[in-house]
Amino acid sequence: MASVVRMPEVLAGATEAVLSTWSVAEGTEVAVGDVLAEIETEKATVEYQAEEAGTLARFLIQPGDSADVGTPIAIFTAPGDDDAEISRALADAGVNSAAAAEAAPTLVELTPSPSIAEPQASLVVDQQPALVPSASRLFASPLVRRLARESGVDLATVTGTGPGGRIVRKDFDAHQARTSAAPAGTVVAVAPGPPRNPAGYVEVAHTGMRKAIARRLSESKSTVPHFYLSADCRVDRLVQVRSEVNAAKGVKYSLNDWVVKAVAMAFMEVPDANVIWGDTAMRRFDSADISVAVATEGGLFTPVIRGVESMSLGAVNTAIAEAAGRARSGTIKQEEIEGGSFAVTNLGMYGTTEFAAIINPPQWGILAVGAATQRPVVENGSLAVGSVMTVTLSADHRAVDGALAAQWLAAFQRHIENPVGLLL
Amino acid sequence: MATYTPLEPAQPWIQVQATQEDWGSADPALLATMLGQLHLIRAFEETVLELAGEGLVHGPAHSSIGQEGGAVGSAVGLRSSDAVNGSHRGHHQFLAKALGYVAPNGLDLQQLVTPDISTVLDKTLAEILGLARGFCKGRGGSMHLQWHDAGALGTNAIVGGGVPLAAGNAFAQKRAGTSDLTVTYFGDGAVNIGSVLESMNLTSAWDIPLIFFIENNLYAVSTTVEEATGEPRLSGRGVGFAIPSFRVDGMDPLSVYLTMQKAEEYVRAGNGPAVIEAEVYRFFHQNGAFPGSAFGYRSKEEEESWRARDPLTMMADQMKALGLINDEIVASVRQQAQEAMSAVAATLVEQDPEGKPGVRRIRPDLWPEPSFVDVGVRGDLSELSGARTQERSDYTGEVIEVRFVDAVADVMDRNMSADDRILVLGEDIHRLKGGTNGATKGLAEKFPDRILGTPISENAFTGLGGGLALDGRYRPVVEFMYPDFMWVAADQVFNQIGKARHMFGGESAVPLVLRTKVAMGSGYGSQHLMDPAGIFATAPGWRIMAASNPYDYVGMMNAALACDDPVLMIEHVDLYMTKGEIPAEGLDYQIPYGTASLVREGSEMTVLTYMSMVNHTRDALDSTGIEADLVDLRFLDRASLDWDTVGESIRKTNNVLIVEQGAVGTSYGGWLADEIQRRFFDYLDQPVQRVTGSEASPSISKVLERAAIAQTAEVEAGLRRVIAAKGAR
Repeated sequence: MASVVRMPEVLAGATEAVLSTWSVAEGTEVAVGDVLAEIETEKATVEYQAEEAGTLARFLIQPGDSADVGTPIAIFTAPGDDDAEISRALADAGVNSAAAAEAAPTLVELTPSPSIAEPQASLVVDQQPALVPSASRLFASPLVRRLARESGVDLATVTGTGPGGRIVRKDFDAHQARTSAAPAGTVVAVAPGPPRNPAGYVEVAHTGMRKAIARRLSESKSTVPHFYLSADCRVDRLVQVRSEVNAAKGVKYSLNDWVVKAVAMAFMEVPDANVIWGDTAMRRFDSADISVAVATEGGLFTPVIRGVESMSLGAVNTAIAEAAGRARSGTIKQEEIEGGSFAVTNLGMYGTTEFAAIINPPQWGILAVGAATQRPVVENGSLAVGSVMTVTLSADHRAVDGALAAQWLAAFQRHIENPVGLLL
Repeated sequence: MATYTPLEPAQPWIQVQATQEDWGSADPALLATMLGQLHLIRAFEETVLELAGEGLVHGPAHSSIGQEGGAVGSAVGLRSSDAVNGSHRGHHQFLAKALGYVAPNGLDLQQLVTPDISTVLDKTLAEILGLARGFCKGRGGSMHLQWHDAGALGTNAIVGGGVPLAAGNAFAQKRAGTSDLTVTYFGDGAVNIGSVLESMNLTSAWDIPLIFFIENNLYAVSTTVEEATGEPRLSGRGVGFAIPSFRVDGMDPLSVYLTMQKAEEYVRAGNGPAVIEAEVYRFFHQNGAFPGSAFGYRSKEEEESWRARDPLTMMADQMKALGLINDEIVASVRQQAQEAMSAVAATLVEQDPEGKPGVRRIRPDLWPEPSFVDVGVRGDLSELSGARTQERSDYTGEVIEVRFVDAVADVMDRNMSADDRILVLGEDIHRLKGGTNGATKGLAEKFPDRILGTPISENAFTGLGGGLALDGRYRPVVEFMYPDFMWVAADQVFNQIGKARHMFGGESAVPLVLRTKVAMGSGYGSQHLMDPAGIFATAPGWRIMAASNPYDYVGMMNAALACDDPVLMIEHVDLYMTKGEIPAEGLDYQIPYGTASLVREGSEMTVLTYMSMVNHTRDALDSTGIEADLVDLRFLDRASLDWDTVGESIRKTNNVLIVEQGAVGTSYGGWLADEIQRRFFDYLDQPVQRVTGSEASPSISKVLERAAIAQTAEVEAGLRRVIAAKGAR
């Protein structure tokens, strides 16, 4: 009985593949295990073997054609099958037998065919042929090929947005910026020279960075169950100690250095909170790897400072300064911005007193640090003036429950309000 | 009842035949020279056929064996300063003129071959074999023999194609105040060609000293003259143009000589052209060493009857009858000619070391170097070195604002005042206050004999311009009222003027400027509204310029008029009424040759355009807000394009849009896009994009015309297309 050979799913999740070559001629008798064809996806080329003995009677697609997984690509016959049997199989497969006889690729998404675009204006007919993406090879402009060659970039890692998915210069530039930038920093790249628009607004095309931020943070906010805890930290002593240390050592440790160190110490005190959420298991860390935002001209980077719990404040300061330097010079490496269970973001320098941040998955939390300001405080029943810094913890409820988060935040508050301990 | 009055032609039509009395009174030295030339040419042609038979002549060998009488009889009396040109069958005419030049006092039958004659035979045969030491360095071969010093203007492989050029040479002779003349030889096949008939008309109208010498050998390849025309007495053509016309037996050199004497007398006196039809017969087929009868289009009997009238025999018999020579001398003349040719051939060919004994080959060291292939397609522009150049941005003096079309007339006025070699030819340019658009305004009044309104015959007046330019004493400016007329004159424009320098060895200057105007938008329809830049860009030899503003036009026209190559200057009717600044004084500057102008700078893309589309592109950039490098190419041909400026911009922007107005088929940008993708492939972020008109030639209907051409809206769409293909990020 004749049967239909369909495009196999060569790779898990692949939706289409390209038939590179038929390894046997139409009408060839094959045995189990004989190679029928080479089939190519973006990732691999595989030999497609006969699963039963018989004759490969009809080809329904031609070498170079791309077809969705499951699309009939050939008719397989058993001994004794006649043309009627083939026709029946074709009919079963939904293939017009006359067309199939010519192996006309009516079933498959094909290769560029000229089509006429809509006229853009009554007198302007744009007769550019439409470009259809091909799975069979990678398209990149000549310029991009040269740039990739010169900078050693594998273009398979770059997504094209030009006609037919062609990788064009903008794609390449965006890729370069991304690979040297934070995975999800709050980067705002300024698009050069937005076109003037008579409608009264301008449209600034998205950069790759912008799109990445939008995608990742939308995903985070819509899939990670956030909850928020705030604490007003008294930082009179921190301010005092910091200025004394800076004066004594002739250094300039920032408030943020102290905050990062306090975050690390809080994790040492509440190790259950040093986790990230996974689909099947929670991953708990021994050391405190903290992401720190660093501003550069190209945007914000978030290098991960690892093992902060065992670093001196000076070492923290140095580690952050060096990472910042590499970020600014564009020499920071991908692995430096990957990992960590927690992030610190600080808008205090802008005068913001209180805000909540969005978690950068798979991290479980992010601490939003506001400005340390003089505020009225109640001390022992009377009103006084004190330095207060409000911090807000955004937490992933899947990983950390409210009580644990509160425990952790209390530990942080204790450490930041007793800064001398951070010097030990 | 109507009255019927016979009309007479304005000029006579005469059959000429020498009498025995004429033979008796002929100068014996003249007869001896004719006999010697006949034998030298015969021996030469026999050698050519011999080598052709051995496969050593690449291409056709159109032998003149049998037809020598017409050439010798007509050329023997010419001055060195007279000129001849001819057709594909031209060895005999070329040699007759060249022999007359190197032996002005005639030939000595005892000592027939002088060293000078030997050199002529050698350089002619070398040329026919395509060798470096030929008259045209091997470029011309059998069908393009030129020796300017001897007054041999160049034979021509296009039937009738050389005739307008000969008219131009004769026009130069006339305007230079000489009594010299030009003889243009062509065959019965050419007499029905437009170039010939147009030239008869034009030379008659302008009293140009040209002799139309028709070698009627009865067959155009295999088609008989009776098949080809209702009036096989071909000299009858001349009478219709009021040209005195003669018919003579071309197998009789003295009769031909006497006919020439008569025609020359009329022509040298300034009366205008003459037509001579000489009946001759080629003993062999169109080419090669077999008789025509072998191909079945004529009989052996007919060939026998003509062979019996062989001009060599006839000449010898008459001279023997007059007691001037005897059989021994005739045999000696024949032997001297044959030996001279054997000696010449022996220096050009040798035993093939890989062939059997007797198999010969060209001596390998005589071939031209392959690297010579493109040398001399155009000149080296050394004539422009030292010119005063000045861009608008460099000029700080006083300016006046003028209409573009007035700048066209002003710069021509300035050049014609300074250089009386400049002549302007074209239809209606002398009337209508400066032609149809005013581009020659005021010039006809100021230079009445140099602004020449022509008959409507583009082949004739364009070719006449080419002949004037090749002569060297004048610098013609030819105007095509509309660019599409180039198709009418295509042979002269492309086959003759464009190729002349290269084809004849690379050294002849062709200082001709061809002006025309693009008129898209004027409603003149499908046959008037092309942009010729694309077609000319495919043609070797031509330089192309197009200005977008009056200042550039002045500086580019000055360069064009100073250039020794043919230059097409394209103008646009849309620009004629636009205004721009030119210097109030001192129009004698040139735009630096071969430089483009960067009109705007921007990073998004490089727009390459010219002429009126510069303004449309500027408008489109304004309306879309797109920032691009806008390059006004100005100098458009392959040899003159400013690759430095174009390349620098492409390397910066990585995206290219070529903008032009006209139909896509004949468009300019195709070759440019091709060149760009090869030169700058690794700098391109998308295919080279183009803005052109549609495929159709613009129609009369206003709506369809608008739809067929590109203007600002189409440039806007093109700009957006480039932006879109730059990706979505």
